[in-house]
Amino acid sequence: MSDDKIVVDGKYIVLKDRYYTDTDEWVKIDGEMATVGITDYAQKKLRDIVGVELPEVGREVKMGDPVAVVESVKAAADIYSPVSGTITEVNEDLSSSPELINKDPYGKGWIFKVKISNPEEKDKLLNADKYVEKIKEKEAK
Amino acid sequence: MFKSPLSSVEEKLNANFGEFAGWEMPMSYTSYMDEHMAVRSEAAFFDISHMGRLRIKGSIEELNKLIAKDLKSSQAGFMIGPTAFLNDKGGFIDDVMVYKISDNDWLIVTNAINREKDMKWITSNSSLEVQDLTFDYVMIAIQGRRVWDYLKQKPDLKPLQFVLNTSFLGEEVFLLSRSGWTGEDGLEVWAKPEIGERIVTKLVNLGLKPAGLICRDSIRQEMGFVLYGEDIDEKINPIEARYWVFSLNKDFIGKEAIIEALKNGVNKIRVGFKFTKGDRTLPRSSMPVMILDKPIGYITSSTFSPYLNRVIAMGYIETKYAYFGYSVEVNVRGKKVEGKIQDFPFIK
Repeated sequence: MSDDKIVVDGKYIVLKDRYYTDTDEWVKIDGEMATVGITDYAQKKLRDIVGVELPEVGREVKMGDPVAVVESVKAAADIYSPVSGTITEVNEDLSSSPELINKDPYGKGWIFKVKISNPEEKDKLLNADKYVEKIKEKEAK
Repeated sequence: MFKSPLSSVEEKLNANFGEFAGWEMPMSYTSYMDEHMAVRSEAAFFDISHMGRLRIKGSIEELNKLIAKDLKSSQAGFMIGPTAFLNDKGGFIDDVMVYKISDNDWLIVTNAINREKDMKWITSNSSLEVQDLTFDYVMIAIQGRRVWDYLKQKPDLKPLQFVLNTSFLGEEVFLLSRSGWTGEDGLEVWAKPEIGERIVTKLVNLGLKPAGLICRDSIRQEMGFVLYGEDIDEKINPIEARYWVFSLNKDFIGKEAIIEALKNGVNKIRVGFKFTKGDRTLPRSSMPVMILDKPIGYITSSTFSPYLNRVIAMGYIETKYAYFGYSVEVNVRGKKVEGKIQDFPFIK
């Protein structure tokens, strides 16, 4: 196993270079920009993703606001913004190829980018180790 | 929860497992869309070992009373169906496939969810002997537009014909039939679990794609096939479902109710809905279907068809609105999704 990732239960990948939420979003922070997607655990639970409703660019969002919807054959899941700020970009590729979230949840399957308005919120996010614990808790249920 | 006897070989093929009707089964391998397209243009195989499989022995008269289609006009070595066990109100106890081995020896494939219910129903309504073969054999469906090219052979079987104790890909199998549930040509095989594992390996080596139950669901929806528990149940009759599983030239439980429904008409009827191309918002089961904001029915199944590149669904609407081509809407999380009433199948 490489040092930059953790594999939970032999199947769920968690990357160490980013933060996580209780609701299974990941957020990668680069200066004042945050890139958001859903975790490998989330995409595996949702299974085959067939559609994504993307937020509008320019929308102001608060931490925890539902901003996108991921549709799988199984269910529709709200995606919550892990940080407050302004949506600056959305992943248009997902409109025609939503399965990118299944294929590459931490890369090409990113969903939206936010310009962070409150950097202190970062303290409320989970680091990789804490998120691994969270997955284990969810799986134990 | 039951587990497919093929799960260890499927794990090696990277199956994602999930629960269906009390069974842990492969839901998908790569993505259901790739698997779906493989069925429609190449060839794939499904583990359907969750399907209930019963061997019924006893008089044809007794079985013919329980089954809505006429078994007397059937030929040994052929399947009859889909047909159904109906209750006295004409509602579906189950929809099944019947295999005639001889006049007093039959096989019945049931929905996984109804296996035990069917067994109880048969024994409480007849003196037929019921043997459950479900756990003795795995069942594999091999389906696809180019299935014979991939298998490099075409067995000498007519559609819905089957043979017992035969050889398939060099393996001894209990049953081989020319049947499926996909709208494509293909075979279904029943074999002992260890033989089933070897067949799976051989199919993979021949280039057939393993496909999961999500793909099976999207494939059957394109054909307009119903799934028990989703689109039909004990409160739905075959007329409402537009599911022609009965023959009126003989007696069977539920026949009077069927005749009533035919004579008087039914208030609701099953139709298909196709939604705007490229729109990927899925109306979900039980969501109301509306015409100009007036509710006229509800959704029972939906999926995104990768073949048609659009969302398709089925459901029941009031019979008086059942005109193909009518525009309808479904309110999905506050968003109005527009579609059209469409007949089955969705694909040709």
